[in-house]
Amino acid sequence: MNFYLVLIINAIFINNFILSQFLGICPFLGVSRKTETALGMGFAVIFVMGIASAITYAVNLLLIEFNVQYLQTIVFILVIAALVQLVEMVIKKFSPSLYSALGVYLPLITTNCAVLGVAIMNVSIFENTSLLISFLNGVASGAGFTLAILILAGIREKLERSTIPEPFKGFPITLICAGIMSMAFAAFSGMTF
Amino acid sequence: MEIVIPLIILGVMAAIFAVILAIAGIKLAVVQDERVEKITSLLTGANCGGCGYAGCQAFAQAIVEGNAKVTDCPSTTKENKALIAEIMGSELGEVEQTIVVCACNGGNRCLEKYEYQGYGDCASIELLAGGRKACPTGCIGAGKCSDVCPYHAVEVNSDGVAKIDQKRCVQCGTCIIACPKKLMKRLPAKAKIYIACSNHGKGKEVRSICKVGCMGCGLCAKVCEHDAIVLKDGLPVIDYDKCVNCRKCVEKCPAKCILTLD
Repeated sequence: MNFYLVLIINAIFINNFILSQFLGICPFLGVSRKTETALGMGFAVIFVMGIASAITYAVNLLLIEFNVQYLQTIVFILVIAALVQLVEMVIKKFSPSLYSALGVYLPLITTNCAVLGVAIMNVSIFENTSLLISFLNGVASGAGFTLAILILAGIREKLERSTIPEPFKGFPITLICAGIMSMAFAAFSGMTF
Repeated sequence: MEIVIPLIILGVMAAIFAVILAIAGIKLAVVQDERVEKITSLLTGANCGGCGYAGCQAFAQAIVEGNAKVTDCPSTTKENKALIAEIMGSELGEVEQTIVVCACNGGNRCLEKYEYQGYGDCASIELLAGGRKACPTGCIGAGKCSDVCPYHAVEVNSDGVAKIDQKRCVQCGTCIIACPKKLMKRLPAKAKIYIACSNHGKGKEVRSICKVGCMGCGLCAKVCEHDAIVLKDGLPVIDYDKCVNCRKCVEKCPAKCILTLD
C-alpha cells in the first residue's frame, strides 16, 4: 500500500511531467488560457495516459514474448494515436463546447511527449512489473499534468486583469510564471519516505 | 525471416485499431443536419450575437430546429438570407432595412459631474452616480459600443461622443444592448436626419449642462411643412414616413442637435 502512495506522490509532485521533466509543454502553454478548458484538457490527458499505460503494458508483454522490444516506440505511438482518435470522438459526441475549446490541442495529444513518456517510463523504470502499477502511474502522471495546467490557468486568468509591462504581455509572462512554478516544484525533489 | 514478426505484429495491431475506430466512428457519429453547415457558411460568421444566440453556428442550429427566423439576423445580406430561406424551403418575407445611430452629440460639449479615474468602461462609470456627464442621458464616451462592435463600425470621435460609421455598420444591434445609457437607436433605413439628443429635460436645465442638447423649443416642429415632427415629452419625434428630407429643421434648430446622415 505504502509503495502505491509513494508512486502516486512521486508522479504528481516529485517527478511532475511538466514542471520537473518538461514533457508536454505544448498543451501546457496552449490550453491554459481558461481554467475550464485547462480542466477539460487535463481530464483528457488523464484518460489517455491511464488507458495508454494499461494497453501498452499488455502490448509490451506481447513484444517481450516475440523478443522485439525495439518496436516499443512505434507501437506505443500507434496505441496512443488510436486512443486519442477515440477520445476525440467521445468528446465531440458528448461535449461539443469542450471539443471546440480544445481545438487543435486535442489531436495533438497524439504527439504529446508526456503520454509517450509515461508509456516508456512504465517499461524502463518500473520494468513492466504489474498492470496496476502501470495504470496507477499513468493516471497519477495525468493528475500531475492536470494540476500543473490548472495552476497555470489560474495564474493566467489573474494576469489578464493585471497591468503588465507591454513587452511581457502574453507568452513571455506566462513562460516566466511557468519557470517560477517549476522552481517551486523543484522543492519536492528532495523528498524521501 | 526476422523481419516478418515485427511486420505481422504491427500489421495486426494496426488492423485491430482500425476496426475499433471504424466501429466507434459509426457508434459515436455526431448526427448533424447538413443544412446547419450550409446555413452557417451563408451567415456572416462574425458571431456578433445580434440574433440573441451564442454565435452563427448556434443561430444556424436554431433556424434548422425552427426556433429562430432568418430575419432575426440583422447583418446577413439579403441575397444570403434568400438562399437560407431556400434551404429551409420557406419564403423570405420583406425585411425592413434599418440603420443605427447614437442619439447624443454632447461629448466634450457636455459638462462633467466629476473627473473619473479608473479602467473606464461605460458600464462601470454608469454605476458611479449615473455616469460622469452632467446630462443623465449623455454619451459617457468610454467606448463600450466600439469595444463590443464586431465590425469596428463605432468609434468615439474627437468630440468625445460615439459615432457609427454607416458604411461599416451592419445593424447587428450589439451596441444597442451594450450601451448603459441606451443611446443607440434603430431607425428606418430611409432616415436621413435624426435627433442627436435623448434628454427629455426642460430647455434651461439642458442648456446649462450641454451646448448641443435639445431644449424642446419645438422650432423644428413649427418649421416642418409636412407635419413630420411632433414634440413628445420635451423631445421632437420624426415620422420618417412623412419626412421628405427638406432639412429645414436642421437649419432652424438653435442647438444644432438635428444631425444629417450623409
